[in-house]
Amino acid sequence: MIKISNVTMKYDLGIEKNNSLKNTFINIFKKNKSKKENFDFYALDDISIQINRGEVLGLIGNNGAGKSTLLKIISGVMRPTSGCVEVNGVVSPMIELGAGFDMDLTARENIYLNGAVLGYSKKFLDERFDRIVEFSELIDFLDAPLKNYSSGMIAKLAFSISTIVDPEILIVDEILSVGDIKFQEKSKQKMLEMINGGTTVIYVSHSLDSIKDLCTKVAWLDHGKLVKIGDTEKVCNEYYSVQMN
Amino acid sequence: MYLRNIIYNFRRYSFLMIQMISRDFKVKYKRSVLGILWSLLYPLLMMSVMAIVFSTMFGRDIEGGNYLVYLMSGLVVFNYFNEATNNAMTSIIVNFSLMKKVYIPKYIFPLSKCLFVGINFLLTLIPLLLVVLITGAPITFNYLLLPYVFICMFVFTLGVSLFISAWSVFLRDVIYIYGIVITIWQYFTPIFYDLSFIPSELVAVFELNPLYQFIKFTRTILMYGKTPDLSNFIFCAVYAMIAIIFGCITFKSKQNKFIYYA
Repeated sequence: MIKISNVTMKYDLGIEKNNSLKNTFINIFKKNKSKKENFDFYALDDISIQINRGEVLGLIGNNGAGKSTLLKIISGVMRPTSGCVEVNGVVSPMIELGAGFDMDLTARENIYLNGAVLGYSKKFLDERFDRIVEFSELIDFLDAPLKNYSSGMIAKLAFSISTIVDPEILIVDEILSVGDIKFQEKSKQKMLEMINGGTTVIYVSHSLDSIKDLCTKVAWLDHGKLVKIGDTEKVCNEYYSVQMN
Repeated sequence: MYLRNIIYNFRRYSFLMIQMISRDFKVKYKRSVLGILWSLLYPLLMMSVMAIVFSTMFGRDIEGGNYLVYLMSGLVVFNYFNEATNNAMTSIIVNFSLMKKVYIPKYIFPLSKCLFVGINFLLTLIPLLLVVLITGAPITFNYLLLPYVFICMFVFTLGVSLFISAWSVFLRDVIYIYGIVITIWQYFTPIFYDLSFIPSELVAVFELNPLYQFIKFTRTILMYGKTPDLSNFIFCAVYAMIAIIFGCITFKSKQNKFIYYA
């Protein structure tokens, strides 16, 4: 379903220095004078993973290991420097909720805007509108502008919009911890429902418990490299013991 | 194959474009009392001010003496180009946070801005037609040719927008430089003065100005009810083609790198 082959993501950290015409001119003259300093940063280094249909892959690793980068490459937000990613199926990303939310507009308008950003059609959103509102428990505030919402309410709204689709491939990046306990439980139930429906899931989390609950196999990334991939229990326990040392 | 991809993307994201344009409208006139009436009022006010200031100096040179329509048609067309390209130029930069979260075909940003300003432009045609009626200019079947020049204008503006929006990602100076370019361009376009004001050696250069070609086409129809000549037709189409081809090539070759310059 998803085949990641030798994906490498290299950033040139020196890019910040060249943002204007003045710097471009200066660099032309500098080229011969000094060696180009090596600012290359490898966010991902030769990663190869295969995920079959219906599998739930957990991605664990330290902050900065490259998990979010990998997710962004799979969902098409970025292209890898080298290597390729084959994806068979439509990707529904739950990376950073509320993409496109405009604070001046009301919740009702933002549902359509956010839905449109995720690629859904008006008809689709019309049919599921009531379900979204019900799931988010925000029916009383539907016509208030988003800037008056609390951060928890915004997160609940965003999550509700992302979950109304029956995705083929779901990518979840550390967002199940939003909202109060009741909402968290509801979200987890919804995730399980989707997983049992045969959705392929890539799940990033720092909560090893929820990884052990949901995932069929786990990949451990460290500083851009794939350390280990395999059985959920084993990899999680090894990761934990290495981190706690 | 590539064309089919574009059409598929277009249909998939057309709803998003409608959403973005309606959001732009809502935000633009939020909290303003007159709201969308400003789109109608602004060109009328601009024209009135310029007419009062310039009509004694330049009004005599216009054939047929219809300085008001002459002025306003120039203003409306140039204003469309100005506003559309300025909005589109920053459209990618301001939407970086969105691009980093979800996959969106990047051309949607300049395209939706051009459409948004385009709709505003159509609204400004209402006061323009009003002035045409008041000044008694002839209305003929040649009015049916107006959509031709509007389409050429749209395509030309879109091409320029794609070009500068792509470059402004990498070189932020483009935003400042473009402001100066537009100001100079405005003075070099015969909006409030007639072409006869220009020394004959330079007339050919002024005629090469694409915006002048669009304005001339519009004026020929609105002021005199006549058919523009063939060279006018050709220039409009050729400029539109050149702009859109350059714009698309530049944009397509650079769009994958935008995200690194956020």
